[in-house]
Amino acid sequence: MGLRSNNRSVDRRRALFALLLPFSWLIHCEVASSAPADLMSQPASDFALRSLGQENIRLSEQLGEVVILNFWATWCGPCRQEMPLLDAIYSKYRRAGLVLLSINIDEDEEQAAEMAKTLRVSYPVLLDARNEVAKAYELGTLPLTVLIDREGTVRYVSEGFKPGYEKRYTDTLRELLNE
Amino acid sequence: MKLGTGMFRKLIACLLCALFSLTGSAQELSSDASSSAEDFKSLDQEVQALKKEVLDLNRELFVLEEELLFPANTQVAVFVSMDVGEFFALDSVTLKLDNKEVANYLYTEREAQALLKGGVHRVYIGNLKAGEHELIALFTGQGPNVRDYRRGATIKLEKGVGAKYIELKISDRASKAQPEFVVKEWE
Repeated sequence: MGLRSNNRSVDRRRALFALLLPFSWLIHCEVASSAPADLMSQPASDFALRSLGQENIRLSEQLGEVVILNFWATWCGPCRQEMPLLDAIYSKYRRAGLVLLSINIDEDEEQAAEMAKTLRVSYPVLLDARNEVAKAYELGTLPLTVLIDREGTVRYVSEGFKPGYEKRYTDTLRELLNE
Repeated sequence: MKLGTGMFRKLIACLLCALFSLTGSAQELSSDASSSAEDFKSLDQEVQALKKEVLDLNRELFVLEEELLFPANTQVAVFVSMDVGEFFALDSVTLKLDNKEVANYLYTEREAQALLKGGVHRVYIGNLKAGEHELIALFTGQGPNVRDYRRGATIKLEKGVGAKYIELKISDRASKAQPEFVVKEWE
């Protein structure tokens, strides 16, 4: 009788372990993806990258404007969903002082150029093939969207994309433009 | 009821006292106002002096930080400047020291214009031990007629006891047609 109850408790523990094991991966992802939160309220790391239009663009030269940085890759599905919405935001607010810098992290520049052309984005697309800027911004989950105020401080960080996120960008953007 | 002479005199005396005390307090108020204006002025001067001290301190800390991180006996600094007659748009400069890439700087249009107007850019500062070293410098850019340029230079460095300053001047004076690196070591 004692042996049976012992076996049952061991079985229960095994079942619980088997049930929780897949979720441990999610917990790890949560920990990894919370890292960009360290960027909040910090000065944005400066960088210079070459754009698809061949000119070099430096972040610190945009001081005085509100800047959106958007990290993406050609293999990222949510990025494809987000980019046209970002283009709409850019078209609407650029005259109010919005600068949008889209940063591609693919090794193949041509793929990035093709995707940008297909999606017909009007904002500058910068190439970070070495992923140096991606590391500086603690890129974990794509897409990563960072809003920077006129003084160069990071004010909003968003990882991933779901429909409706663009409203959060717009709400924060309007606050920063009004500062 | 008629006031007696004594009462009347007392009343006059009280009125006179009240008048004098009011005058006194008015004088105090005006002297208070002028003293507070002076206080504000001196406070403002103190704040300005404090700001200047903070700025001076900040500058000293910056210099101290550089001296600590890059002491003169091991310091090596590389500067980029331009002296071109024809149009040349500098795009990037890459430096390799003893076969290791130490600097890769992309120049924006604004920065390139600053160099064309006589600016000097410190593209690298680091530490080197005494002895022989090799510096490989490479620049890319666009010349007239949208022609791409890519030029390099290999410099043998003899690092001694003191700090070493090297200027890489992009110049087209010698060839009058193509920009080249001209290397200059500062004493």
